[in-house]
Amino acid sequence: MTQLFKKLRLKKTLAISVIALVGVSLSGCSPADQDLQDATLTIYSGRNENLVQQVLDDFTAETGIAVEVRYAGGAELAAQILEEGENSPADIFFSQDAGALGSLSKAGLLKAIPQELLDLVPSTYSAQDGNWVGISGRIRVLNYNPEKVTELPNSVFDLAGPKWQGRIGIAPTNASFQSFVTAMRVVEGEEKTLEWLKAMKTNAVLFEKNGAILEAVETGVVDAGLINHYYWYAKGKEVGMENMKSRITQFKDQDVGNLINVAGVGMVNDSASAKRFVEYLLSQSAQEYFASQTSEYPLIAGVPQVISLPALEEVPAPKIDLSDLDSLSETLDLIREAGLI
Amino acid sequence: MRRPPFLVVVLSLGATLFASLPIGYLAIRFIEGLDRALDEVFRLRTLELLGNTGLLVLSVSISAFVIGFSQAWLTTRSNIRFASVFAVLAALPLAIPSYVMALGYISVFPTFSGFFASWLVLTLATSPYVFLAVTASLVRVDTAGEEVARSLGFGRLSVLRKITWPQVAPAATASVLLVALYTLSEFGAIAILRYDTFTRAIFNAYRGSFDRTAAAALAIILLLITLLVIWLERRYRGANLLSSRALGKRVRVDLGRWSWVALPILVLVAALGVGLPIVSLTIWSIQGGSSINWGQLLEALWGSFSLAGLAGVIIGIFATAIALWAVRYRTKLGAFIETLAWATHALPAIVVGLALVFFGANITPWIYQTTWLLLIGYLILFLPNALAAISSPIARVPRSLEDLSQSLGTPANRTLFKIVLPIAMPGIIAGMALVSLTVLKELPATLLLRPTGVDTLATRLWTATETLSYSQAAPYAMLLIMLAGLPALALNAQARKAISEVREK
Repeated sequence: MTQLFKKLRLKKTLAISVIALVGVSLSGCSPADQDLQDATLTIYSGRNENLVQQVLDDFTAETGIAVEVRYAGGAELAAQILEEGENSPADIFFSQDAGALGSLSKAGLLKAIPQELLDLVPSTYSAQDGNWVGISGRIRVLNYNPEKVTELPNSVFDLAGPKWQGRIGIAPTNASFQSFVTAMRVVEGEEKTLEWLKAMKTNAVLFEKNGAILEAVETGVVDAGLINHYYWYAKGKEVGMENMKSRITQFKDQDVGNLINVAGVGMVNDSASAKRFVEYLLSQSAQEYFASQTSEYPLIAGVPQVISLPALEEVPAPKIDLSDLDSLSETLDLIREAGLI
Repeated sequence: MRRPPFLVVVLSLGATLFASLPIGYLAIRFIEGLDRALDEVFRLRTLELLGNTGLLVLSVSISAFVIGFSQAWLTTRSNIRFASVFAVLAALPLAIPSYVMALGYISVFPTFSGFFASWLVLTLATSPYVFLAVTASLVRVDTAGEEVARSLGFGRLSVLRKITWPQVAPAATASVLLVALYTLSEFGAIAILRYDTFTRAIFNAYRGSFDRTAAAALAIILLLITLLVIWLERRYRGANLLSSRALGKRVRVDLGRWSWVALPILVLVAALGVGLPIVSLTIWSIQGGSSINWGQLLEALWGSFSLAGLAGVIIGIFATAIALWAVRYRTKLGAFIETLAWATHALPAIVVGLALVFFGANITPWIYQTTWLLLIGYLILFLPNALAAISSPIARVPRSLEDLSQSLGTPANRTLFKIVLPIAMPGIIAGMALVSLTVLKELPATLLLRPTGVDTLATRLWTATETLSYSQAAPYAMLLIMLAGLPALALNAQARKAISEVREK
């Protein structure tokens, strides 16, 4: 038991030193921020701690607003906020994908983002109703093993051909795959989409998420896979870019396989500090962080991208408003009908 | 009819109230979207899931039973070499979270997936439950009866079936029930190995479409399957037999040439269940260059240690109360409460977690996102683990001692605390240890219910594997296995203690 108490004391010491540190950093804040420092801002983050904790720390350092973060899967957090309803302790929902934000917006649990903040980001990357705003961009890419794939497909529809049988990895239960299929429905129609999905039933190996597909392409289990671009960069950072066996590429001519998507943020509570947080995520320094550290596309003007892919405006993606991708249940029906989930 | 002590009633009813929360939540969600829910139930896919889930539960239950029982019999009753080493190896997979085992297999064999993969990993992960329960019962079996039967000309197998089995049956079937429900509710490993069961479909309903009605519909079917499994176990469990307390001198069966069959099998099971995951983790920690964040590591270690310890003790106390009521007082209500506690065990952790989010945030906000609500979540999820371990020892306390104490005028409560509980204490502690190590490995409910900002080894492991940072994940996984290994080894040591006691005589 004494051991227990010692550890408790250790914790207390830790807490005191943290408070002291925060106190020191407070001295460098602007006067406007000082009114916001009384309450703690509670953030539910579906984005991984390894990817965003630094930004949150920087936010506290700059504004003096203390932050409490709950990390979990984005969909789980959305479900959690849905269950909490009006009593949610969350101020902010920071989401990996637009779908989860859309579900909260539909349930009426998100507050309107101030217009001046919405204006910072091209309108296609935010909610039409102004209930959430995109923070960073990501694109769908073809991840492939250059030893096995010598002739690159022009379109994601080429993957439906017989020569791809058993060679391609997809993640039908994953949100980013599902928004891509939604886009395919919107652009190409239900019939063509169902046909493609049915071809995937024969051609594809199914995985749980993007990361697992990338691992499989790297280890030679499948020859290619459909993933979000930044997984490839993250893996490169972990093992060294020179050790990557796979490559990423894009399809040609506005192919729906190149869909642009965003990670975004919504306000569950429209307190001044919540607004300040959204403002911070759209600031120069936070956007530079996403460009360099998570290898994503910055969304505000004037911040250059770091990765060696085409600029967001030049990505040959279909021109779709992300708000049009909220017809998820129809997509799921199609994916189910094709027997993929 | 004797009435259970007040404290037993209060604790049992309290646990029942908690266990009924997820069921109430599911009912609300189901009725709220009745049409959609019924659509979800009456789909072809439901049949397919039913088939998949049934196949996996049945095959894992059988194989875990065969492996766990063989390991227990070989290490306690045969003259196999290195018996105590094999006993430790048989208990150890209990310390390895099944999702870590699955990731370990995937990283060595990238194509490993589907039914066979899920069956293998879950068999390896759950057979220790059977091994420990059967070992604990086997060392108590009175061998005199076996020797009499042998001298009457019965063969070894019929002695095992007719004399030994009835004495270990209650503990063994309870552990198989635990295995079956574990398989029903497993998500992590099943998702990594890509096999579709009800639990995976429930998680996907939340994840893919934020569809709480569809998830509730599937969860209610899962609950019905669970009741069926529990009913089957009740039918074949048999009564707790009161064996004579005197442990006779133990004769170990000479395996002869059979040891050349048994030995390689034990080695193979240990290599698959302990060796391969450990090798995988070692490879993770060598690859990649993440440096260890010691502050985070210590904080997570403390989080895991304190939560698992607290949960073990609290759940052990509740389980003891329920076991006392169900086993020693044998009232209908007691049996009902025990069944209810088991029934929620097969619900996926995400359902239990969201149920508590719903009730916690809206009805009892003062305990929402505190350790208390998380502990209630663990109580709902893991009460049966403790019940399985605690019921048999409590049943074995001779009724005559209790009657004697009461005939001397001792109040029922005092008899309970002075006679029954002290005798059953080793079993109660074993139950607490079992719960602690299960709590250490738990992830989905912990993520939903933990106080904001609190981390455990399991949540840190999740953070690292989500971003494919396996080198960052490795120290957390290792530490988790070591920490969970302590109760696993203690359980094994306790189960085998009776053997050495007999030898010393």
